[in-house]
Amino acid sequence: MVRKRYLFIVGLMVILGIVIVITFSPSEEKRVKKRFHLLSEWVSKSTEENAFTMLQKMRDIGSLFDEHCELKTDYPSLSGSYTREEISTYVGSARSHVSQLSLKFYDLQIVFPEKEVAKVTLTARLTGTSTAGERMDEIRELECLLRKIEKKWLFRQIDAVEVLRK
Amino acid sequence: MEPTYHNGGVNFCWRLRYLFSEPKRPDVVAVRFAGSKVMLLKRVVAREGQRVEFRDGKLFVNGKEIEEPYVRYPCDWNLPPRQVEKDSIYVVGDNRSMPIENHHFGQASKSRVVGGPLW
Repeated sequence: MVRKRYLFIVGLMVILGIVIVITFSPSEEKRVKKRFHLLSEWVSKSTEENAFTMLQKMRDIGSLFDEHCELKTDYPSLSGSYTREEISTYVGSARSHVSQLSLKFYDLQIVFPEKEVAKVTLTARLTGTSTAGERMDEIRELECLLRKIEKKWLFRQIDAVEVLRK
Repeated sequence: MEPTYHNGGVNFCWRLRYLFSEPKRPDVVAVRFAGSKVMLLKRVVAREGQRVEFRDGKLFVNGKEIEEPYVRYPCDWNLPPRQVEKDSIYVVGDNRSMPIENHHFGQASKSRVVGGPLW
């Protein structure tokens, strides 16, 4: 009788453990969203940002991208394939020309067309002020492809969608 | 859309506006991006099948100059003629004082038109 009671308690604890793991472990969708959250955080720049934070963000940004990332935009000079080091350098250089920068993502629609691949459609808004005091406000619809490599979702391709075609 | 609508101002979108009709010139429409959180307010200047062009800042549709009283700032745009594709409209903002390459305008699919501003 006592043994049965122990078995029942152990079984109950196992079930409870499984429920807790399922409930609190982030879904793949949440993990993908987290990558966008990090990209937004690391690209953005406040007026009080110090040199240490700047260097750390520059180093971290590269870790979000695959070894090679394809970029297709309406600026032909920007389109092409970039290594993560090139992306870090490019973003760092762009950030040095602005005193304040904010990158925000809206309306993320995430689908998984195949295993370990995520396709995300979203609206990106980049606002900021250049060191010369010029205001910028750019909005683009983007289609991003991320690949899961060693348990991390990495940006593989970013395409700008042409909403208005001149 | 200056000076008709101010940047950063609050507008309400009337989503049922095109339930039984099609966007036409010179309606102001809300064009959506990926979802419904970010939209652009633009003016319809041409419909599908029409030919649109700019000559010295003046709008021409099917070769005919269009009066645009809502354009208040000087404009010097030149854009070769182009035909609006099926199921699309051609939209432009009212503020055309900036260089043409810096202005967000062009052909948009009708499926991206969410509605029009309430006032």
